[in-house]
Amino acid sequence: MIDTLTPVATPVLAGLADVTFAPALVETFLTRYAYATVFVLLSIGLYMMIASPNLVKKVIGMNLFQTAVFLFFVATAYVEGGGSPVVPTEATPGELAVASPLPHVIVLTAIVVGISLTAVGLALIIRIYTEYGTMNEETLREVRIDE
Amino acid sequence: MSSPTALELLPALLVIVPILGATLPLALGLRYDDVGWACATAVCGIVFALALPVTNAVYGVGERVQVIHNLGGFDQPVGIALVADELSTIVVLLIAAVSLATLAYTRHGGPRGNTFYSGYLLLVGGLMGISLTGDVFNLFVFLEITGIATYGLIAKSDGAEAAVAALKYLIIGTVGASLYLVGVGFVFLATGTLNMIDLATAIPEAGYDDPLVRMAFAFMFVGFAIKVAQWPLHTWQPDAYQHAPDGVTPMIAALVSTVSAYALARVIFGVYTVEFVATTPYLQEIVVTVGSVSVVAGSLLAVIQVDVKRMLAFSSVSQFGLIVAAYGLLTETALVGALVHLVGHGIMKAGLFVCAGIVAAGYGARKVDEYAGLFAHRPAVASATAVLGIALIGIPPSVGFIGKWYIAVGSVEAELWPVAAVIFLSTMLTLGYVARLLEKMFFTHATGAPASHAVATDGGEGVLVGTLDEADPVSLGMIGLAVGAAVLAVALGFAGGTFNELFDPFVSEVFS
Amino acid sequence: MSEVITDIRPLAAVLVSALAVALIVASYRYPNVREGWSVLAALSKFGIVLSMLPGVMAGTVYEWSFVEATGYEFVAGIDFSLRADPLGMLFALLASFLWIFTSFYATGYMRGLNEHGQTRFFASFAASLSTAMGIAFAGNLVTIFIFYELLSLVTYPLVAHNEDDEARIAGRKYLFYTFFGGGVFLLAGTVLVYWLTAGVGEATVAFETGGIEALAEAAATDPLAASIGFFLLAAGFGVKAAVMPLHSWLADAMVAPTPVSGLLHAVAVVKSGAFGVARVILDTFGPELTGELGVNVPLAALAAFTLVAASVIALRKDHLKRRLAYSTTAQLSYIVLGLSMLHPIALVGALLHIPAHAFGKLTLFFCAGAVHVETHTDYVSEMAGIGKRMPLTMGAFALGAASMAGIPLLAGFVSKFYLLIGGLEAGLSIFALALIVSGILNIAYLWPVVYTAFFETEERHDAKPLLEYPVGGQRESYFDDDHAHAVTDGGHEGDDHEPAYAVDMHPSDHTDEDHDAHDDHHHGGAPPGGWKRTPIREESTWLMLMPIAVIVTGAVLLGIVPDLAVFLDLAVYIVEGVTGEAVL
Repeated sequence: MIDTLTPVATPVLAGLADVTFAPALVETFLTRYAYATVFVLLSIGLYMMIASPNLVKKVIGMNLFQTAVFLFFVATAYVEGGGSPVVPTEATPGELAVASPLPHVIVLTAIVVGISLTAVGLALIIRIYTEYGTMNEETLREVRIDE
Repeated sequence: MSSPTALELLPALLVIVPILGATLPLALGLRYDDVGWACATAVCGIVFALALPVTNAVYGVGERVQVIHNLGGFDQPVGIALVADELSTIVVLLIAAVSLATLAYTRHGGPRGNTFYSGYLLLVGGLMGISLTGDVFNLFVFLEITGIATYGLIAKSDGAEAAVAALKYLIIGTVGASLYLVGVGFVFLATGTLNMIDLATAIPEAGYDDPLVRMAFAFMFVGFAIKVAQWPLHTWQPDAYQHAPDGVTPMIAALVSTVSAYALARVIFGVYTVEFVATTPYLQEIVVTVGSVSVVAGSLLAVIQVDVKRMLAFSSVSQFGLIVAAYGLLTETALVGALVHLVGHGIMKAGLFVCAGIVAAGYGARKVDEYAGLFAHRPAVASATAVLGIALIGIPPSVGFIGKWYIAVGSVEAELWPVAAVIFLSTMLTLGYVARLLEKMFFTHATGAPASHAVATDGGEGVLVGTLDEADPVSLGMIGLAVGAAVLAVALGFAGGTFNELFDPFVSEVFS
Repeated sequence: MSEVITDIRPLAAVLVSALAVALIVASYRYPNVREGWSVLAALSKFGIVLSMLPGVMAGTVYEWSFVEATGYEFVAGIDFSLRADPLGMLFALLASFLWIFTSFYATGYMRGLNEHGQTRFFASFAASLSTAMGIAFAGNLVTIFIFYELLSLVTYPLVAHNEDDEARIAGRKYLFYTFFGGGVFLLAGTVLVYWLTAGVGEATVAFETGGIEALAEAAATDPLAASIGFFLLAAGFGVKAAVMPLHSWLADAMVAPTPVSGLLHAVAVVKSGAFGVARVILDTFGPELTGELGVNVPLAALAAFTLVAASVIALRKDHLKRRLAYSTTAQLSYIVLGLSMLHPIALVGALLHIPAHAFGKLTLFFCAGAVHVETHTDYVSEMAGIGKRMPLTMGAFALGAASMAGIPLLAGFVSKFYLLIGGLEAGLSIFALALIVSGILNIAYLWPVVYTAFFETEERHDAKPLLEYPVGGQRESYFDDDHAHAVTDGGHEGDDHEPAYAVDMHPSDHTDEDHDAHDDHHHGGAPPGGWKRTPIREESTWLMLMPIAVIVTGAVLLGIVPDLAVFLDLAVYIVEGVTGEAVL
């Protein structure tokens, strides 16, 4: 299993290690756009969590943040020209090119975890809203100080 | 693929029993009213009973073996293994013991309800999973299970304040776990494996200076720094501890951060190695600095707190700072000290939060000033608080001293003098907030008559509900728990040599 | 020459009063039973210690070790051990002997004042003695650290006993100083010694007569670390020994009830600091290594400075207990100075000064306490003519004061004599000079108390403290209406004699708290019409007079026949063991 995975890792490794001069950087963005998207999403998610006063939007930001992580895993699993990891019965071991299945499995698990978290988070927000009548963090702070 | 022996089944059972058990209060709750506590006690009792043979196998008098269970019969590194070794078993025992003991508090002190106990058992299962798993991704899953259970339990408190605190914890905690997951992704990219034992050999092969390996460590470390609540990433913790129900705080304070700190140790010493931390430029400095700064900042913030539970929460920031700094010292003695303090702090902080809960229920006091004259009204709890607080300062004989001694010796051995200075001075910092309590409890007269019953503040739910209204809100079990923790904290203070002996196989392997 | 025997008696001596704590707390409803436990524990403790004396003098060391008894190590490589060696015996014997009489006195004092929280008081007191015994018998640095910390902890309730703001602040200060000394300096020093010895072989912190050998070896390669270790340990113990600049907690701790000030803050607690310094110099580093490192000179200089400066401060204190506290600060530095001069005779003097000062100072405190209980008088300026009211008490005070000052035929003389000889023999005449100056100052601050008690009258006496008034003194009277307020505000006179200098108006060492506290005690001083002449048997209760009489007799006996009292023998024996040569 390890043997099949190692080639997956190598190009990415090389791509990241070579980020020393500008042309390589441009090239990285062009060929590794998935990773660039990951960091954009990651940043947007983090920003929403910090900056948005709306609690629901914070949770959306959190989701975005997690989605970025999922995308990151899926991107790492991609193999140039590889198909889905369904191994035909008469495969020749040397020629078979499939995407690595393990990150996909990881992402599936992580999605489940993420959904549970969102559910819990939304449940909490409902409770906060019924109690304070607001989902705005600033208002909430004022209400709590008044109490 | 050989079928596991009875002993090898135990690690799996330790995780599965509480998680499956978590459905019991809900299922039985459809038919019966107040079945949660009984279910939880039964399940925690079983878990504790299961933990004993594992402990005996790993630390017992006879031949000591690691108990390893390969889930689904898949051998490592393909399958996921659950490993009870010298490091994880003590944490497993701590979880089993604390979760069982805390039930003595919740029986009378609340919170009540079947859903609460489902969450409680889920938390136990998650914590067990973190401790036992031998797979870095599986660790993430259990981290999140623990997290979800914790968020739910915190919100179980009466006031909506708790929901706000829980949501804050949820968002920050998720970021922490996600950062860890990114770290897992990087390390998987670099090595192509997720098994911890396998990684320990695969990472050196990939090279310690591989940017992916380094990046992975950075993400994991920051992720854990959030989970362990290191300054300045600690902000979720005071709110969460303050607003959580009194019956839940001991559990969370003693176990959740502790187990995260354990997982950090596992990652630093089990997955990565001492050599990695030592050879990577500035890494050791960063780790000890994070720890040391947390020690100082946590204590200083604790001193200025008004609310007792909040003060104890900041104290946790400081104490875990000590542990993280000890990890960074990279000496055998310091690591032993960190592990002793991990266990010792769990016991002491659980005891202190139990005391805080009893005082809130029986004396109506939540603020430091309201503790005035406590000794006159609640001598047993005041004494237990005093003993636990003193143990936390590190005054011998107590488990707090043992941990501090090893960490201090380790810091001198590492010849990192500024860290050593922080560790020695931490005594004074801890004294700063403990002495406030002591002075209030013993040498200040109560001003005005304190409420003898819990007022309807958050966390008082259990007291006011049910048929026990006329009864004393403090049960014998609650006081027994507080006193028991105090006695244990002192008694373990004589076991310094034993602790060293227990951790020695793991520690010397890590440093070989 | 020393033979080590495993024996449970050192542990028993520690535990007997710990057991008493439990019994005292349990019998809180019955004061007589409760105080009975105190006395019983004191007697059995003294009995246990005494039973070891012949053996110890014959060269046996009794040892109890945790690892041998239970098979568990306290921390890796370090045992929790209690051993009764000559040096430990000196301190243990002294503390346990004096506790017997202090128990009686404390009973009389606490009941005389009808104090609150007596159960807590007696329990903490017994616990303090337990830990003091642990310090005496501790067999290594970690064990002594444990008891040193515990001692700080259990004496805290005694300092904060009054439960008012003054007591709480004093308690805070006390905790801060003692834990800084114990938890920071002492622990750091211990760890450093552990680390240094680990560098040359098996790590050890166990005391060895004449110094730890491994430490000497390590110090040869790393003298700087060894010196730092010495200073850390000395600073750790120096806090309790009240060596300047770490002394200021002691005067504040005088808010505690007088038995505490007497036995603990003149004997057990502060002497544990001095004793700790002795352990560091004699049994950890050894005189030889200490001399080689040259670390004794700064310590001696600090001690010499302390004993002069504290005496000068004492001159200006009007509150008697505070005056005595500064006297204690000075006298403790005699011990530290004697130890750090490293000359065998000076060492004997220093060790002998531990009991000598204990007997003298305990007398003084007991007398101050008796005066407080009977007349509520705390200030020297209110004591004119009090000799009529309390003849025996003030008589004992005079003897105690004379002993403090080193008048021949009293305990203080013998030890100071050896200290002086030792200093001169060691060629450290500047320190010998400091000793003499301080001796003179001793007389200067204690004699006015005796003088005002016996030789001045309520109508006609000098305003106290003398130093704050014009040369030649200033006459005043308690009964002159113009000066009536002088009694209540601490002896400060009207505007005619306003001090000219700012430093005199706001002397840094003579803080306002003296006078603030004073306002709480309007009832102090002579009653209208002057002190009533009282016969000895009526001046106070026997519970207080008996201990005073016994202790002052002890001070005299130590002075007249030092050979008979066991302490001189012990001191000589200890020093011979450490230096390996015959002394005297």
